[in-house]
Amino acid sequence: MRANEYYRASSLEDAYSKLQEDPKNVLLAGGLWIKKMGQSYNALIDLSTLGLNKISETKEEVIVGSMVTERDFENSPLIKSLYGDAISFATREVMGVNFRNLATIGGSIMGRYPFSDVITGLLPYDVTLHFYPEQEMKLEEFLLFRGKINAILVDIRIKKHVGKGFFKKVKTTALDFPIVNIAVSEVNDKYTIVVGARPMVAAIAHKASDYINSISSPSRDDFVKAAEIATEELQFLDNKDASKEYRIDLARVYIRRGLEEVSK
Amino acid sequence: MKVSFYLNDVLVNYDVNPNEYLSHTLRSHGVKSIKIGCNESTCGSCTLLVDDKPAMSCSILTAQIEGKHITTVEGIQEEAAKISYYFSEEGADQCGFCNVGYALVIYALKRELKNPTDEEINDYIVGNLCRCSGLQSQMNAIKRYLKED
Repeated sequence: MRANEYYRASSLEDAYSKLQEDPKNVLLAGGLWIKKMGQSYNALIDLSTLGLNKISETKEEVIVGSMVTERDFENSPLIKSLYGDAISFATREVMGVNFRNLATIGGSIMGRYPFSDVITGLLPYDVTLHFYPEQEMKLEEFLLFRGKINAILVDIRIKKHVGKGFFKKVKTTALDFPIVNIAVSEVNDKYTIVVGARPMVAAIAHKASDYINSISSPSRDDFVKAAEIATEELQFLDNKDASKEYRIDLARVYIRRGLEEVSK
Repeated sequence: MKVSFYLNDVLVNYDVNPNEYLSHTLRSHGVKSIKIGCNESTCGSCTLLVDDKPAMSCSILTAQIEGKHITTVEGIQEEAAKISYYFSEEGADQCGFCNVGYALVIYALKRELKNPTDEEINDYIVGNLCRCSGLQSQMNAIKRYLKED
């Protein structure tokens, strides 16, 4: 990685105006992906002194600053208390502690990484991204958005509904990227099925979720059917880690198991 | 650019490039205990403590640690000697390249987790790879170290 300048932003406004100065200026969160990509930049814009590393709550939401590390996020009692610990669990699947002490929630989300455990783990829930300049986007809307986001992620807000969650990362070794990621939730009697690393970024299987939500007391056969619908509506592809067919087989099993688990 | 931070409680002021990583800065200032293994945020050999939390120094820009406290194995010599004793007793000490990173992560584990289960220990040390062994001997050594007051 090359950079000409390290710029400590003094405010969000300052960071934003620095970002506009040059298309080669970039926001620095944890810095792990920037290192891995090895590209050249003009200025790295440091956001670490803007107080974005805090987790707080209101009556309805947990508010997570974009510079909160993955480790502080997973250890937060507020995050652990959500959806049977499912969101914290998904984050704990990322690499080791010495990695997660550097990686940030903002960096994990803004990269829209296809392999992201954090994104897959959050997507079944009601999550809103708040940007500077003032702009809001649901997480799903952000993932489907195809342009460049010309704004700074300030925080993410997770609704505190009562519900259950399931997360499964299929990987060949402890520190590997996922072959496929599955997240399933049951919130207010509604199921949501998410599949990530297909190998594309996580997506909600709406048809499969609607199917299972249309049945009043779903049976195991209904869960099997929902898993089948999910793997038909979402696109799966081959890459060097696994074939399309293998990913589909894995996804069907873990979606069914996830639905069974959250329906208990 | 100038960066000031505390290295084992001593304030240092280094002149660094904006894209310079901490592992490089420290090694170029004589802290050769920092081992660079994969240099890809994976193996954990370069682990040190940033404000008492284990982190991979190959992946932190030196500019990012302005004002922070960095602990290397030189800063925990007494505890490192104990860990080293149990490593050799249990046969966990082979080529030794990963040991420094291990010592720091085990030291941090002991301070962060109270009475951890085997699974919690595994989760904590999974980011530190040992290519020589099967890791069982490390586990035995860690458990003996954790039992010490």
